[in-house]
Amino acid sequence: MTSFFRPLAALLLAATTAFSAHAQNLPEAIRFGGFGQGFGQPYGLALLAVAQGKGFIAEEFKGAPVKLSFEYLTGTGPAINEAIANDRLDFAQYGSLPNIIGKAGGLPTRIVASYGYTTVFALSRKDLDVKSFKDLKGRKVAVAKGTVLHWALLKALQDSGLTLRDIQLVDLKTADQLAALTAGSVDAAVGSSSLLTLRDKGVGKVFYSSKELGAKASGFGAITVTEGFEKRYPEATQRVANALVKSAHWLSQEANREEAYRIWALSGVPVQAFKDDFDGVALKDVFNPRVDAFLLSQYDDAIEFTKDNKLIRNDIDVAKWAAPAYVETALKAQGLENFWPRRNAIVARH
Amino acid sequence: MAFVDHTAIAGVSAATGQPALPPLARTIWPPLRRVLLALALPAAILLLWQLTVARQWVSPQILPAPALVLGTFLELAHSGELGAGLLISLQRIASGLAIGGVLGLALGVWLGVSQRACTYLEPTLRALFAVPTLGWIPILILIFGIEETLKIIVISKAVLVPVVMSTSRGIRNIPMAYIEAARVLRLRRWTYLTRLTLPASLPIVFSGFRLGLSHAFIALIVVEMLAATEGIGYMMVWGRTLFQLDIVVVGIVVVGVVGYALDVALRRLEQSLSRWLPDHG
Repeated sequence: MTSFFRPLAALLLAATTAFSAHAQNLPEAIRFGGFGQGFGQPYGLALLAVAQGKGFIAEEFKGAPVKLSFEYLTGTGPAINEAIANDRLDFAQYGSLPNIIGKAGGLPTRIVASYGYTTVFALSRKDLDVKSFKDLKGRKVAVAKGTVLHWALLKALQDSGLTLRDIQLVDLKTADQLAALTAGSVDAAVGSSSLLTLRDKGVGKVFYSSKELGAKASGFGAITVTEGFEKRYPEATQRVANALVKSAHWLSQEANREEAYRIWALSGVPVQAFKDDFDGVALKDVFNPRVDAFLLSQYDDAIEFTKDNKLIRNDIDVAKWAAPAYVETALKAQGLENFWPRRNAIVARH
Repeated sequence: MAFVDHTAIAGVSAATGQPALPPLARTIWPPLRRVLLALALPAAILLLWQLTVARQWVSPQILPAPALVLGTFLELAHSGELGAGLLISLQRIASGLAIGGVLGLALGVWLGVSQRACTYLEPTLRALFAVPTLGWIPILILIFGIEETLKIIVISKAVLVPVVMSTSRGIRNIPMAYIEAARVLRLRRWTYLTRLTLPASLPIVFSGFRLGLSHAFIALIVVEMLAATEGIGYMMVWGRTLFQLDIVVVGIVVVGVVGYALDVALRRLEQSLSRWLPDHG
């Protein structure tokens, strides 16, 4: 009897282990996407670029036949939303406004981690005496509408007691902002550190940087996963979150600052831009990966903004959108539970 | 006899496969048939579109359903957004067509009649024309800012290129026999221009204008996508930013229909002009 059952049992055991290996179910490929600043290089920025560049993600899938691909789209937010809709990306790192616009448009995304925040700058024409946004009342201010910079402009205006109605908003992308400000067609421009080339050329003066206001007025966004991927491959999703937490921890070490700048510079953005963005700022604060009350309240605020400005047609349930558990599990596993504070909501969450 | 005639007509009809039609239908049917045939392809595209959406071959966020696009069209038309955008864009097209067309015609005639102009000017012009419009825009913004002037210059340049090219070609291709006849008749310069040059080159000049019109639309969309806050091209970029591709599709359809209508109008103008100008044949 036993001689008959033993091989059968062995077969069964083999079948079940094979099955459980299958149930653990790692995907054949994981496709990551992110913004690439339009410099045409196959490298990105922020948290995802470090997770790729330092091999943290590859490490998580070592030994498993999982093909990792990274794509940094020149079309930034809108192009990333389209890529997700076309089922070309599983994970995507992009700004909060296109995050929101995509979600409201029906994209099945979930927020896995914060990718850190970016400094927002405002430049005025050299011949204007502008000390703060108050001096720009009624004047032409260029910003890329429908991006997180548009929202950040509102935050900056609010800090000066103004609203978007107090200025003439001109919708221009970075390259055209540079030309328009140089030609004197607009009085000021709001953008990322790429605007600062004008300061270096003596065409414009920086009169505002979100460094003064910190995270609450800076550009922010998330690394998202598609619902389909998350449901099918929870284990892989967790491993990606593990790698993201490791990357954020690595970034938080002061000793790694220069190397991080070098990794980001591969994207084509000059190192000087990162110095402008982050010198004098603790990278540990910037790259807090937690999807915590603070981040969600930022999303609430930005959703209100997009509704007020008629950028979205449907409402979003932020609590359902967020998937904070992956990062929290990773923090626990890596003994980093208390490394980053759990930040409170900036405004009461409704 | 009449009876015999009838059978004869019926026999002919049967031979050509055409059903015998009452006289009214005979006058209405051919143009109607042409319209129906022209609409066959758009109808097929619409059908394929609906099928694609129904079978979910493409994500509905990327290709919205025809019904949704129609709804968005009605909404945009009702709110006046579409009309206002279209009006601004058409004004830009009209200015570009007028400036680029007149300048192009003048330059083209000059290049066509003067061997010297041809030698001195044409190589430089051809080199300048080879630079795509997109390449000029940063420099043009620096000079003209981002206001209307910029857009009209860019569109005018887009119209100018095909008009210059076809006008000069049209004039150079006038058959030698006509020119010799004119020489024998010792026509005055003005008479020569109005009686021979223009009528003889009219078809090619007009095909240049029509090409210019389609280039104007391309330039319009490019320039409105880059540096505008209103107009139909801007509406399309904005729709993409908002991930509401139904707005983009509305823009595509509207630009297509308006472009076609303008092309038809130009063709009509050419027909009436060639009737008005003395026949050169």
